[in-house]
Amino acid sequence: MTGDPWILPGAGPYCKGCGHPLVLRALDEALAVLALDPADVAIVTDIGCVGLADSRIGSPHTVHTMHGRSSAFASGLALADSVLGTGRLKPIVLVGDGGATIGINHLIGAALLNPDVTVVVHNNFLFGMTGGQSSALSPVDFVTATTREGNLVSPLDLARVLLASRAPFVARTVTGDRELPELLRQAIAHPGFAVVEVLELCTAYATRWNPLTGAGLRELAEQAGYELGVLRDDPRPTFAAGWLARHGRATTGRAKPATTSPARFHHDVAHATGIVLAGTAGERVQTAATLLAQAALLCGLHATQKNDNPVTQGTGFSVSELILSSEPILYTGIERPDAVLVTSADGAAELARAGVLARVGPGTLVVADAGIELPPLPVEPLRLPLRSSSGPKLAALAAVATWSRSAGMIPGAALRAAVADRFGAAAEGVAAALEPIAPAPSRPG
Amino acid sequence: MELVSGNRLTALGALSAGCRFFAGYPITPSSEIYQTMVAELPRHGGLALAAPDEISAAAACVGASLGGHRAMTATSGPGFCLMIETIQYAVMTETPLVVCLVQRLGPSTGGATQGAQGDVLLAEHCVSGGVTIPVFAPAGAADCYRLVRAAFEWSERLRTPVVLLSDKEVGMTLETVDVAALENGSAPPGRRAVAPGTTRFAPYRRPCSEEPPDFAPVGGPVRVIATGSAHDGEGRLSKSSPEVIEILASLQRKIDAHAADMALAQTELAAGADTLVVSYGVSARAALEACRRVRARGRRVSFLKLETLFPVPVSALGPALEGCSRVVVVEENLTGLYAGVLEPHLGGRPLQRVTGLGGMIPPSRIEPILEEAA
Repeated sequence: MTGDPWILPGAGPYCKGCGHPLVLRALDEALAVLALDPADVAIVTDIGCVGLADSRIGSPHTVHTMHGRSSAFASGLALADSVLGTGRLKPIVLVGDGGATIGINHLIGAALLNPDVTVVVHNNFLFGMTGGQSSALSPVDFVTATTREGNLVSPLDLARVLLASRAPFVARTVTGDRELPELLRQAIAHPGFAVVEVLELCTAYATRWNPLTGAGLRELAEQAGYELGVLRDDPRPTFAAGWLARHGRATTGRAKPATTSPARFHHDVAHATGIVLAGTAGERVQTAATLLAQAALLCGLHATQKNDNPVTQGTGFSVSELILSSEPILYTGIERPDAVLVTSADGAAELARAGVLARVGPGTLVVADAGIELPPLPVEPLRLPLRSSSGPKLAALAAVATWSRSAGMIPGAALRAAVADRFGAAAEGVAAALEPIAPAPSRPG
Repeated sequence: MELVSGNRLTALGALSAGCRFFAGYPITPSSEIYQTMVAELPRHGGLALAAPDEISAAAACVGASLGGHRAMTATSGPGFCLMIETIQYAVMTETPLVVCLVQRLGPSTGGATQGAQGDVLLAEHCVSGGVTIPVFAPAGAADCYRLVRAAFEWSERLRTPVVLLSDKEVGMTLETVDVAALENGSAPPGRRAVAPGTTRFAPYRRPCSEEPPDFAPVGGPVRVIATGSAHDGEGRLSKSSPEVIEILASLQRKIDAHAADMALAQTELAAGADTLVVSYGVSARAALEACRRVRARGRRVSFLKLETLFPVPVSALGPALEGCSRVVVVEENLTGLYAGVLEPHLGGRPLQRVTGLGGMIPPSRIEPILEEAA
């Protein structure tokens, strides 16, 4: 790197008496003691007066980020470096009380993930750059531009929030603390997430409107119930260490997929064939459709499978639209279905709602469970006791097998092969659904 | 052949393009990209992260990319809205980033499991100041693989965020694809690095107005200054000097200068056609099918599928328009969002919009329009 100092000398660009340059001076001392390679240090700044610190940084990298998001950027930098890079990079986040609250989810997330990131929270109890407005860290009765008669809202105890977020190193102090450089040194040396909250003065607004001095910061902390000093120093494994222990740095890559294999089964799909399969979510409707698509693939066909379900996962309807074709398939919807297979009332209701039943024509093969209501259709549905014969979870596959036998386009052997490929040792139980089903005896009356 | 979804091939395409960092937050219909990256990245020596929200996901990716690692995230409309500030940051800091936006019905939470093409202008116009983000739009699973690679190529080449704009139907529909045939490309080249031995460099000084600056990683031996604030060539905060304004102008100029190279499209032109059908994404499949059906009945129509939406692929449009006296644009949104983008480039030809909401536009809705003479 350049041989520049860690932090450039001077007080600017800050107001006389501002706490920010005091923290920078302490940071300079801490970095000097640690004697890191400046190339391994990145100062990641947030927005606000604290973000102006970039101009004071000498030899380390600087990344000036967005309001509140600094710790999320720093987490990405640190984790990527730990797993993919040098493993030496130490991002140090400089953020104010405003940034810490708008970005509190990032701080909590970083504390939980535990990357090698140090966060220095410059808490001067208000938004300085924008004119001294109250922040979530303003004490009760604190006078700010937006709380002229004193703040009514209890302040957030940020250090405690981060303790609760399992941050392994948490410290809090005031700018006048002689131990500040040592606290910062400990935080940076810590192998994971570390946070130091520094209570400080904003001389542009806070001291103008409140009877507050540097010496009074400890008293303010006491009144607010803030413990000072190292609140936790209890290293725990970092995310990166856990990741590398589990995965190593292996780079074997994905197993190459099989190149196009010749069709294993003969098909009789003369033209693009659209099949709509409808049932209830959680009853393997989409799995049954996929098995048919896989069977088609084993016959050398093109296939598409468009699935639809409500946003819920295990309830409501589940519909798959399959197209099988010897030519590449363009539109993946089905304008005129060649087959409609319905295994539950949920499925039938959705097909009616979506207009699929209205598109059933005289040439459509309709297979339906014997127990469900269907509106009048231009064809007589093939009614079978799918659910009671095969069970609800295999009824859709039984419907697919019924279609396969009736339409004669995809051989049962291809379906059985698809089932075997997918289910392996468990295939036998599933394949039972591929056997023919006897019609239910017609009910008297 | 494999039966595979567009989301899965988006992830595999990203891996083949050298993506080694993914930070995700689940949202239908994009979650399969996240899950596939989580499953696949370890064996590629990469890192996948579960972010606590979409802002964290995008910011972590930018952080990784600042360190020189190819990074991607995936989301849908609501999550994309949360990422916009970070995407702007990537524009300003000239940090490569690929964002997969798998569209669903909007506005707001909309319909999580309902496809749509309603975010096409949101993706493009989310940057204050009018800077173009390259947007690629796959129409199917194989396209996802190919175009996410293009997204990485141009993201790296121009140091810019790039959006891969698919939708529920493209992302989640399973298709038979010859995946082995796709998996032959090596990773596209990376961002141009600073000269070896460089000790000091101005991180935002560029070789010329049409090129991004040279790159050095945060954490590398050369000191880097990155900033989302307006800056001079040295990276110093400065808001309106001529140098700063020149840098801002170059953010757009570097995109414009490479627009023709970025223009990806597929055509099926018919001799003597009076009508050109233009479409993109999932609607392009129905539009092409409609074109083929009416051609089989003797109508002469040409078809243009745009794979690059932004920068507007004017170079692909020109030859397709020749001889046509009418343009039909097919897209699945309320008002024909992209048709409005194309209109100024049609040489005054009448434009018909075929739009739809709540389901894929079927070929049968397009055919009668194509049957009419221009």
